[in-house]
Amino acid sequence: MLRRHFAAGWVGSTVTVVTRIPGLRSRSPVAGLRRRTLSPLGVFAQSVATTAPAGAMASTPLLVIAVAGRAAPVSFAVAAVVVGLVAVCIAVFARRMAAAGGLYSFTAQGLGPGGAYACAVSMVVGYGMLVAAAFFGVSWYGSALLARVWAAADAPVVAAGLVVVLAAVVAVCAVRGIRLAGRVMLVIESVSIALILGVLVALAVTAGPAPPAPVTGGAGGAVGGPVGVVLGVLPALAAFIGFDSAAALGVEARRPFASVPRAIGATAAVTAVLYLVATLLLLAAPGATAGATSPSSAGDGSLTWAALLMDLGIVASFGACALAALTTLVRVLFSLARDGVAPAVLGRTHRRHLTPSVAIAVAVPVLVVVAVAGGLAGAAPAAVFSGLLAVATLAFLVTYVLVCLAAPRFLSRIGELTRGVVVAAVVAAGALLATLVVVVLNAGVGLLVTLGALVLVGLAGWLVLRRRRAAALRTMGVYDETTTADVLPAA
Amino acid sequence: MTSPISGRQPQAVRSALRILEEVASAGVGVTAKEISTALRIPPATTYRLLNLLVAEEYLVRLPDLGGFALGRRSANLAPAPLTAPTAARAVMHRLRERVRWGAHLVAFDRHRLRFLDADPDHPPTDADELSRHLHASGLGRLLLAEDGDLPDAPLTRLTPQTVVDRDELRHALDAVRRDDLARQCGEFHAALGCLAVAIRAPGDRRLVAGLALTGPADRVAAPNTELIALLRDHATDLAPLLA
Repeated sequence: MLRRHFAAGWVGSTVTVVTRIPGLRSRSPVAGLRRRTLSPLGVFAQSVATTAPAGAMASTPLLVIAVAGRAAPVSFAVAAVVVGLVAVCIAVFARRMAAAGGLYSFTAQGLGPGGAYACAVSMVVGYGMLVAAAFFGVSWYGSALLARVWAAADAPVVAAGLVVVLAAVVAVCAVRGIRLAGRVMLVIESVSIALILGVLVALAVTAGPAPPAPVTGGAGGAVGGPVGVVLGVLPALAAFIGFDSAAALGVEARRPFASVPRAIGATAAVTAVLYLVATLLLLAAPGATAGATSPSSAGDGSLTWAALLMDLGIVASFGACALAALTTLVRVLFSLARDGVAPAVLGRTHRRHLTPSVAIAVAVPVLVVVAVAGGLAGAAPAAVFSGLLAVATLAFLVTYVLVCLAAPRFLSRIGELTRGVVVAAVVAAGALLATLVVVVLNAGVGLLVTLGALVLVGLAGWLVLRRRRAAALRTMGVYDETTTADVLPAA
Repeated sequence: MTSPISGRQPQAVRSALRILEEVASAGVGVTAKEISTALRIPPATTYRLLNLLVAEEYLVRLPDLGGFALGRRSANLAPAPLTAPTAARAVMHRLRERVRWGAHLVAFDRHRLRFLDADPDHPPTDADELSRHLHASGLGRLLLAEDGDLPDAPLTRLTPQTVVDRDELRHALDAVRRDDLARQCGEFHAALGCLAVAIRAPGDRRLVAGLALTGPADRVAAPNTELIALLRDHATDLAPLLA
């Protein structure tokens, strides 16, 4: 008895246990990350920061009001419900498996290699473009802010310099580890949310009761009515992208099966409330915020306290967003490398900090080039920023459609399907697909060309991988499997 | 989101315990459907409780994600008595013949110390008492150094010598990692000290047990080069017997 207890016991002879439980490894395929240490708050911070509610609160409600008019809160409510249903589908996986690849590792369990590959490509594009957009946003708002305070500043040089400095800081934080990064993000995000909420409330109060005329349907370009509500859902959905990013911390989170789904659900709920409040405040004070941020009133030289605070809040929020989105992006690359789909070198982790340092070193320079090139291309900053975000949003929507479709198939495979999940998945996937179709039908030439190019590159990659790494593709979607050390051996 | 089960939901608690028992008796790889059928608990309730038990790490999902097994945390519910294999006890006997101090062999189980072979001539402190104050004992520091994490609870001052400053303790743990030796003089009992070395699995270098010598605090503080070499030799001999 004692002898056997020892052989199979917590002192852990792998040989004995493996013969008892086929398929159980002694080492996790994602070993190398700091396993099971991140606090629930850190996991939550990751999701909130990626969503960047402060930056979105200051900009998205205006876009939604522009099309939906007074019905803008309804558009946000519809978007929040769709996001909530996606969160339910993500939780199906997050309660059952812990992965570094986030949603693509989940999709692999339901849709197989094809779905996983499509999801991985959209995640890399989505998170990559989100980091680039955040870099660009900081340089845009930051240089406009600097130009106000210090007129002599050379705008393009300052903008490029800001990107490089921010990228260096973000890369160092990302390498130092998720515990530090989580703390930094949480502080920045709460300060910037408080700043922007404070400014919005102050503006709404000082503007007094709203004259109803300018924002009712028809006037000022707003479509209004049911059509307006539907059109308003797209920009509203865009404000939520990234809420899923805690899923990539499955390996590093303490008790991931509890903290990851909770963080994703809480992020969706908290951001929904923030957006609704911001929309109601903006509706109460129409026009008050039109010139409140630096880029939107650049050139008139006026410096108001509200503009300064809003700008600071937005820049800080973008900074935290860049760090959070990068954190997820490099874990997706790490996971793809461990799958054997991406070059193996991306799967190396820092010896002391246990983070995917090689992936960080590869990704950051590429994204800096994207952001700086966007600024130097000569296009209007607003157009570059919304272009980057449009590509990111579409990629995220594709990711969410895939994970929603995968959830019921995964549950039926392991024999745990329930009716509620089927309903959530069908409704969410339907709404997201409809949104995607509307976007693509209304897209400009530039966006269509970009999307076409990305799809072609993705397809080419798939064909190459099928010929060269067929075995790796088949087993795509590594996750932090239960190892011999986790199982209580049968006595 | 599911709300945490409150004490006013006895049925849910009862069902959760029955599920634990069912996984234990049905064996490794039992599926959610099988559990639901066997216990006549509605499927949706079974899935929710299973996910809860997995989240709390009492159960684990096997790599196919469909099958369940008892998790390591379940071991805390019914701690099995432990004894070292005969060959390991022979090594300990050999060691005790060569030193005058108390020689103890402990196993590490998560954050607990359990004596595998305590010196009968020098009865050690109770294992639970040691486990409660990992920061103050040599064996406890081996465990803390391995985890790289300080305990959440405040560090208790057991004697005037006990290190209770967190930064100071971190430095001490760095030294443990560097020297692969934990030394403690009069921090647990004012008059006693101890030298402890790790016993690691020969394959993956996992910490499985610790070997300690306890003696008078002032003598433990001396370099003790030969004694430490002896301790390391015996730890090396014990490794293949325990892991």
